Amino acid sequence: MEYFAPKSIAEALSLLERYGGEAKVIAGGTDVMVDIKYKEEPGCLINIKAIGGLAGIKENNGGVRIGPLTTIRDLETSALIRDKLPVLWEAAHQFASLQIRNTATIGGNICRASPSGETLTPLLVLEASGNIAFSDKETAEPFINFFSGPGKTTLGAKGLLTAIDVPYPAAESRGVYLKHAVRGAMDIAMVGVAVLITPDAAKKAVRDVRIGLGAVAPTPIRAAKAEASLRGKPLTPALLKQAAELAASEASPIDDQRSSAEYRRWIVEALTRRGLAQSWKAATGKEAV
Amino acid sequence: MAKAEFTVVGSSPARIGGVERVVGKGVYGIDVMLKDQLHGGILRSQYAHAKIVSIDISEAKALLGVHAVVTAADAPDVRYGRSYIDRYILARHKVRFMGDPVAAVAAETPALVKQALKKIKVVYEPLPVVIDPEDAMRPEAPTLHEDMPLPKNLPDGVKVKNVCGFTAVHVGDPEKAMAEADVIVEEAYETKMIHPQYLEPRMTAAQVEPNGRLTVWANAQAPFPVRQEVAKTLGMPLNKVRVISAELGGGFGGKGSGITSGAAVEPICALLAMKAKRAVMIVLDKAEETISTTIRAGAKMYIKTGVKKDGTIVARTGKVIYDAGAYSGFGTQAGGRCTNMLGGWYLMPNCHIDGYVVYTNKQVCGPVRGPGGPQAAFAVESHMDSIATKLGMDPAEFRMKNMPKPGDKIVGVPKLRDVSLGETIRIAKEKIGWGKVKLEKNQGIGIATGSWIESAGPGGGAVVKINEDGSATVHIGKIDMGTIPGFGIPLIVAEELGIPVSDVTVVNVDTDASPWDAGTVGSRGILVSGTAARLAAIDARGQIFKMAASLLEASPDDLEIKDKQIRVKGTPAKSVALATVATNAHNIIGEVIGRGYCDNLALMAEEKAHGSSQPFTTHACIVEVDTDTGNVKILKYVAVHDIGFPIHRAAVEGQIEGAAAMSIGQALCEQVVFDKNGRTMNPSFVDYLMPTINMMPRIETTLVPGYPGAGPYGAKGAGEIACVPPLACIANAIYNATGVRIRKLPLSPENVLRSLKEA
Amino acid sequence: MSFTINATINDKKVSASTEASTSLLEFLRDTLEMKGTKLCCNTGECGACTIIFNGKPINSCVTLAADADGATITTIEGLADGANLHAVQQAFIDTGAVQCGYCTPGYIMSVAALLDRTAKPTAEDIEEAVSGNICRCTGYAKIVDAIHLAADRLSGRA
Repeated sequence: MEYFAPKSIAEALSLLERYGGEAKVIAGGTDVMVDIKYKEEPGCLINIKAIGGLAGIKENNGGVRIGPLTTIRDLETSALIRDKLPVLWEAAHQFASLQIRNTATIGGNICRASPSGETLTPLLVLEASGNIAFSDKETAEPFINFFSGPGKTTLGAKGLLTAIDVPYPAAESRGVYLKHAVRGAMDIAMVGVAVLITPDAAKKAVRDVRIGLGAVAPTPIRAAKAEASLRGKPLTPALLKQAAELAASEASPIDDQRSSAEYRRWIVEALTRRGLAQSWKAATGKEAV
Repeated sequence: MAKAEFTVVGSSPARIGGVERVVGKGVYGIDVMLKDQLHGGILRSQYAHAKIVSIDISEAKALLGVHAVVTAADAPDVRYGRSYIDRYILARHKVRFMGDPVAAVAAETPALVKQALKKIKVVYEPLPVVIDPEDAMRPEAPTLHEDMPLPKNLPDGVKVKNVCGFTAVHVGDPEKAMAEADVIVEEAYETKMIHPQYLEPRMTAAQVEPNGRLTVWANAQAPFPVRQEVAKTLGMPLNKVRVISAELGGGFGGKGSGITSGAAVEPICALLAMKAKRAVMIVLDKAEETISTTIRAGAKMYIKTGVKKDGTIVARTGKVIYDAGAYSGFGTQAGGRCTNMLGGWYLMPNCHIDGYVVYTNKQVCGPVRGPGGPQAAFAVESHMDSIATKLGMDPAEFRMKNMPKPGDKIVGVPKLRDVSLGETIRIAKEKIGWGKVKLEKNQGIGIATGSWIESAGPGGGAVVKINEDGSATVHIGKIDMGTIPGFGIPLIVAEELGIPVSDVTVVNVDTDASPWDAGTVGSRGILVSGTAARLAAIDARGQIFKMAASLLEASPDDLEIKDKQIRVKGTPAKSVALATVATNAHNIIGEVIGRGYCDNLALMAEEKAHGSSQPFTTHACIVEVDTDTGNVKILKYVAVHDIGFPIHRAAVEGQIEGAAAMSIGQALCEQVVFDKNGRTMNPSFVDYLMPTINMMPRIETTLVPGYPGAGPYGAKGAGEIACVPPLACIANAIYNATGVRIRKLPLSPENVLRSLKEA
Repeated sequence: MSFTINATINDKKVSASTEASTSLLEFLRDTLEMKGTKLCCNTGECGACTIIFNGKPINSCVTLAADADGATITTIEGLADGANLHAVQQAFIDTGAVQCGYCTPGYIMSVAALLDRTAKPTAEDIEEAVSGNICRCTGYAKIVDAIHLAADRLSGRA
């Protein structure tokens, strides 16, 4: 296995251009190390940790720019994230163990593109985008278009995620990230649900709502039909229940060793209902009636 | 016995070997480093059931840096096993589960081992696979072992196959009694396979010494059975094999029963070392271990009980189907224990239970912590609550109604010496707030009891040597995995010799030097080695007193020993240092060597005369069920135990808390999941979920005094019994919270929610 | 492909060569023969291999050895001050939190890091700090006692 530790994005991109599918990019390494030990060793390992300027959390044009090498623990201990992006903070807080959070990076979590990846559904409901660099171009890609399957993204073999831009949600909005797992943070989520809700000025009806579902489809998804069923309407318990059922129908989970598809749908329904009710109460100070 | 009589036993000083462990200097099996050591690895079957057509090792052997490749052809045609001798160290003719060892390699580096294993070409002819033990018993099921007979004690007319053990319990006339019962409750329960998951991976290192002897380093709980089985399977004289035990990073029975538990890593490694003419070390990867070593088997249990309106149990019938896995392993013994325990530990005047132990294409049943007990207790103690519900009785009161008295018999125990069961129930009720605590919506309270064997079995010895500074060196045959060598034994020897605990050294087991022992298994450490070490220390003390008597011009009977001084009782001024006497011994007998034994025959006679002193326990808990997700959170958990006299109190509590945690894991989240082809779906810790600290309640332990056992100072074994009640305790609390009885483990969120939806 | 790692481990400068695919755990145990840090799951799920890396507890099994170049590392071998045990080490022995002892080195490193962050940890702090450290022997009760005892001793409360 060849090994490179490029010092610049340009150097990394030229290595990716040269090695393509042979290469594996490693950041924190908490997933890649397991692959090296238990799957095939890649032909070449590109360790991007020596590239300067890829870690950090900064306010930027009505939002936050997060460097891909920022560790999950850095997100969790950032007052800015906790204050302005609590849905993302909650995902960081429920991310594996402290030891893993100290090493794993948000960029690694995103590029891993696991359907259960903890930070992904929050990024979808926050309508965040990634800055993606290739040797010949650079684009801003909303994460809703970024994931194409388990482990697959629009980065392909030659792209590098160089920044994560998260716009601030409306000041009146409130949200939650709910993770379902047997043992809590340590486990891979059986289901993850992120909800962000914005009431209208009278706090009567739903102005905007976003629902992200994790671990129930080949990629993290938005529950578009459930969202549409709520927009512009007062949030009644009946509507809330109906939206949760819609979300469950939008999921396309599989049976695996962690749970059955049927159970995952039940959980999507339960957590969406819970997430909507909690977020609505936080946003309006009232129960859904 | 009152604690005040003693100097150190009954207290909780720092464990011997503690400092090494906290500074990272404890040498565990996997820390062993031999000179010029090669790395070994094992090729395992990728089929759950198949004929081996051919094995081609030529490409693997040709790799530079590969020093040995072995298959069954390199070992004698000898099988091993406990009741059925049905297993080769490397598969011959057939493989019977995914994980069955087929070949092994020794090479310069781990990477080279991996590469060589990939180059071994095995041609298989797949055979039909059977995963469920009930299916395996049917006539149309595939035959796993063509040349293994059915058990001789099977009743006439029973048509079964793949059965490798049968146990029948017959008491009274259950048919007649059942007909006279007012209420009959009939249920079926099922538990799943769990892995003991000790944290230290299983290892073996082996080398052939210049004199031709074979030395094996193993992190095994039973070094002497390992020696015997290595010699047997490799066709060597026993005295040419030496087994040395390193510190053990957990075992829980998984490293228990010689090579029967270890998937034969020891003889395979030895075979490699002999062929390579170099030292070889094998360390199993955790995922490899999860699919290949021995486990706590799953059981299906059918149970039917007849009771009178007043709550008196009149009869029980039942059937146990116990999953042995691909080989008999410890299945016959564990299944037999499960069958007996399905009869319960209450008064049971009429009973008939048949227990079948069945081969399936899965990994093999081992003697994992309380073999057979947790499974049986899940059925028995859930069933007790079901009966109480049907009778409209309080579950605790129903249990008290059927309480045995001293001198009574229970199933599997002809005579009880005394019975602490009722006392443990009383205290557990008080600690949990039974009938008093206010429960919120979706909260429930549960109780379950348990018992465990405390009886005669293999004996064992101890040697206590007194060094010239008055310190003591102790040899026993049991290893230290957080058990008696570090905790109980030093206290016992210090107590009897009047020396500080820190002056006692307990030597790791070396089969060339230590007394024979069946292994650190069956909660027998304190009974066997504790008894032997106490008698050995008393023997050494007698020798010391004899020599001191002449120095002090007193009778040996008038001497006492305290703070390393031998004194004439009542005349403390007349004294001599223990060190002086021990040094003087050099010129008389050389060294004071005390010997002691745990005498099995004496124990049996004692049991016959006065009955057995069974340990009993009651656990109680409060849970909260999330009816949206099925998640169960344990809010409070109390464990009340009679383990006789606690020699090292903190160690006893620790054993109870750890054993309870293991079964709480089995109750809530642990299981080895198989697909229909016999592949393990969750071999790594990512998906094999053991309890983490955030999901565990604080286990509140209470030790009940006043019921001495057969061990030293009245101790009873404490390593396994706390595994027995938790499964039913939690299931009963869930029933109390939701009104839904769940009869199949685990009580995972999915299983709970499904049960709630189906109810 | 091998290259040289220069790191400060337990206050000593260390220089040794390693392969690209080597984990930090393998580097410690096999290259440097420092066997105190324990191998268990090798996938970052059990915490037995926990070390303190640039001030933070991490799983050395899922960290590249290459990342140790220039790093400051404390392992279980470096926690005691000569013959004087660290308060966490002493508390683990005193409370009976060391049964088989195999999870102990990783546990102690996680707890030492916790008590560096927080003098009087709450139940929540403890859960956060050691949920990634599995103990199969104790059922955790004695470990919780050890953590509180060490915290009390370090801050002069006991």
